[in-house]
Amino acid sequence: MSATIPFHRVNVLTGVKSARLIQDAGEYADLILKAERPLLVLGPLLCEWSLDSKLLIDYALDIARAANIPICATATVKGKLTELEVKPDSVYDAVEIVNHLKDYDWRGVRREGNHDLVIFFGIRSDLAEQILSVLKHFAPHLKTMTLCKYYYPHADYSLPNFRKDEQWKEFLESLIDNLRPQAQKKES
Amino acid sequence: MAEVKTITRKEEEVRKLIRADDLWEPVGPTPMPEIPDLRSWDMRLLKTYSPFYAPFCDLCCFCTYGKCDLTEGRRGACGIDIATQQARFVLLACLIGCSAHAGHADHILEYLIEKHGPDKKIDLGPFIELEAPNIRTVVGMKPETLGDLKTVIQYVQKEIAHLLDSTHTGQEGSFLDYESKGLHASMLDHVGMEVADIAQIVGFDFPTSVADTPMIDMGWNAVDRSKPIILLVGHNPATSCTVVDYLRENGLYDKVELAGICCTAIETTRYSDRAKIVGPLSRQLFYLRTGIADVIMTDEQCIRTDITIEADKVDSRVVACLDKAMYGLEDATDREVDGVIKEMVEDKKHFAILDPKKAAEVAVKVAMKISPHRKKEWINEEEAKELASKCTLCSMCERVCPNLLGLGKAMKDISEGNYDEPRKLFNGCIGCGKCDQECPQHIPILRVMQVVASMDTWKIRAGRGAVMDTEIRNVGAPITLGTIPGVLAFVGCSNYPDIDDVADMVYEFAKRKYIVTLTGCAAMVAGMKKFEDGKTVYELFPPDFDAGGVINIGSCVSNAHISGAVIKIANIFAALPLRANYEVMADYVLNRVGACGIAWGAMSQKAASIGTGFNRLGVPVVLGPHSAKYRRLYLSKNEEDDWRIMDARKREIVDTGEPSPEHIAYVAETKEKAMVMIPKLCIRKNDTPQGRGIKLNHYISLYKKYMGGGLPEDLHLFIRRDPDIPLVYKKEVRVYLKEIGWQPKEPVGLPTYIGTYPTKVPLDAVIH
Repeated sequence: MSATIPFHRVNVLTGVKSARLIQDAGEYADLILKAERPLLVLGPLLCEWSLDSKLLIDYALDIARAANIPICATATVKGKLTELEVKPDSVYDAVEIVNHLKDYDWRGVRREGNHDLVIFFGIRSDLAEQILSVLKHFAPHLKTMTLCKYYYPHADYSLPNFRKDEQWKEFLESLIDNLRPQAQKKES
Repeated sequence: MAEVKTITRKEEEVRKLIRADDLWEPVGPTPMPEIPDLRSWDMRLLKTYSPFYAPFCDLCCFCTYGKCDLTEGRRGACGIDIATQQARFVLLACLIGCSAHAGHADHILEYLIEKHGPDKKIDLGPFIELEAPNIRTVVGMKPETLGDLKTVIQYVQKEIAHLLDSTHTGQEGSFLDYESKGLHASMLDHVGMEVADIAQIVGFDFPTSVADTPMIDMGWNAVDRSKPIILLVGHNPATSCTVVDYLRENGLYDKVELAGICCTAIETTRYSDRAKIVGPLSRQLFYLRTGIADVIMTDEQCIRTDITIEADKVDSRVVACLDKAMYGLEDATDREVDGVIKEMVEDKKHFAILDPKKAAEVAVKVAMKISPHRKKEWINEEEAKELASKCTLCSMCERVCPNLLGLGKAMKDISEGNYDEPRKLFNGCIGCGKCDQECPQHIPILRVMQVVASMDTWKIRAGRGAVMDTEIRNVGAPITLGTIPGVLAFVGCSNYPDIDDVADMVYEFAKRKYIVTLTGCAAMVAGMKKFEDGKTVYELFPPDFDAGGVINIGSCVSNAHISGAVIKIANIFAALPLRANYEVMADYVLNRVGACGIAWGAMSQKAASIGTGFNRLGVPVVLGPHSAKYRRLYLSKNEEDDWRIMDARKREIVDTGEPSPEHIAYVAETKEKAMVMIPKLCIRKNDTPQGRGIKLNHYISLYKKYMGGGLPEDLHLFIRRDPDIPLVYKKEVRVYLKEIGWQPKEPVGLPTYIGTYPTKVPLDAVIH
């Protein structure tokens, strides 16, 4: 909890539980690899945004492949994935997948049990913040993480507001680099 | 014994109020329902469509016990938990919405009763006998005069008081009960809206029993700037219609330009086809800041609360015409007109004038006096470039933009004379002006945007009011059998991700022969895009309530005619009695009428109550992505939920496994995803094989169009037997069904939820 919250918090409180801000890709990779059943939820902005002409969806797929994370395609992301010859593990809209995730007994997209870490990437920030709030309040059985370039207070783990896209790109590339060898080690 | 007596007296009172002895239909089980009366229906709905809460705030700050932290299972000092607090908040939003319409209805009724007397007959023309489907269904009364409507609105107001009472600290403790109350408030909203619009149609002689209403000019360039201009902002037509009367009576009809923003604009064009529509709510501040309006007349709802400050900046004058929004202005209602005009012209003062006649006279005279001195110019390219070049790309504007627009890049483009991208970006501007106030360089961003704002003018059809009974007779069968694939209602405010979205969706579904109805700001923006031959959807498609029709029903309060139309289908087509028979009507709509609302730009509390009212009636609503901020949706868990239903013909409960409709309050991330979801939400268990085939044809083809080919993942859930499969996709679907081991199932003869939950309604009541 931030030290900036006053002692008599009852009078000024505007929210008490906010995301741990992480800038170290290695730490992010550790959290992902530590999870037993992570899930990567892909939003439509991944098909629009690019970093140095590489679409964000390609970064997302690299992350998924590096650590064998199942994918949930929201909105019309499935169309882009089909174009890239990738079959998502599930297709739901953002609110639908979250509606399932908040149910402790849900069997997950691979029918192996509900997920313990859900990573959101490419959903517009107003909607993303609201669905993260759903999980924060109603899904104590899982943790949430974001990969977009802004800080998401309702997540458990969030990146900071990157001032420059280069910083974000560097983080994502470093995350992929960190995930690959460790994931291989985990598998072996 | 005392308790039994009280109830009997109460029932007698209600029977008297609704004139129960008028034998137009037997009185159903719930005349003038109170909070508990439809609770069991709500609980049945909420069992399948559980509330999905997205808290906007972790805390409760409603009382001095707090602020209370409600995270991680904590309860507040009063005992409330986070889910119940969200439900309480949603109820408050619905109550605000319901009150706004009920307040509007009450005011307009008072005004019109004063003008015409309480015995003024309700006559909606030769093709509308079922004049008030919401009132008849909920209240149990057949209103015959304006005075009768007063009885109805008093009932609504009484219920509002009880519902608001329940939000006090230490009252309701169940989120489900708060939801039931929210559904109750929102059902009442449709009653209030119906009162308002029936009164307006009767009292102002708005179009009724007609489909082919006049085409109206729309867009700021449609406004003749060579004339004095009066801008009307808000919802209540008492003022604007009086201005039209004043202009007509004084030979000034051609000399003064009347233009409107938001629903007042739609109402005014129902009264005068010479009035202009500037555009939706999202263009309010933008237009105010052009300074083209000489006088701004405000009434109620959705008005900029800083409108007098904005008017001062551009030398416009404000006349506040309704007590709900007086902006701290001097009340000049009882003052002599000439003195008020003098002060407005010479001292640039604004006034509140609550007498419509006096307000009209003052506004017209002031506009005529000050317009020759209007020195307001549209920004030119050089000026825009110079202003935009001050941008340092600090991104402060982007941080406060509710629609998450990349304004910094737009400023850079404009400073370099590149307008294409900023033009597209401006389509997403909701006109809040927060960017302006945040800019450390003090760039007037909204003003700079004038350089990329479209100067086009468009055509919109004037609002036509209620759907005619004759139209319902023609389409009742194809809708309930499914051969007209759905009735869509594009409603609500203009907080769109992109202003073109609504027009694109209307075009797509009208082409596919859905019946497309529209109201309010959604009706405006649907007309703000030109398709083939430079025509808008209103020019391209017929105005009939029939397959492929595009129908502007009217303003916000006209939404009651859409809920009314679906009730009419049950009553006129299916011959089910509607009087005080809400549960039967809602059950019929939910299971048999393929209707879907789309509140793509929903922003206000009124949109919350309109949408939730549709939900209680069994109509699903699709919302835009930002609408997750409403805090609550109603979602099923699709195939994992319980889809058992009663087959009333066989009198047995059957497990259909069919999630239709899948959700009743749902947020789509993109327009494309919404267009895939809409045809699915029009599927009903009652569809014939032919109707189901048509609906699935649209679902599959839109899925293929926007989801990269293939077949929908849940398609098998909606195919009961082989004849349900659309002909064009027969081969592909059969292969898919074989792959997944699909088994056929019997369609339900007469699907109903009656009989699956505790209710006073007998199963026989749904058999027609």
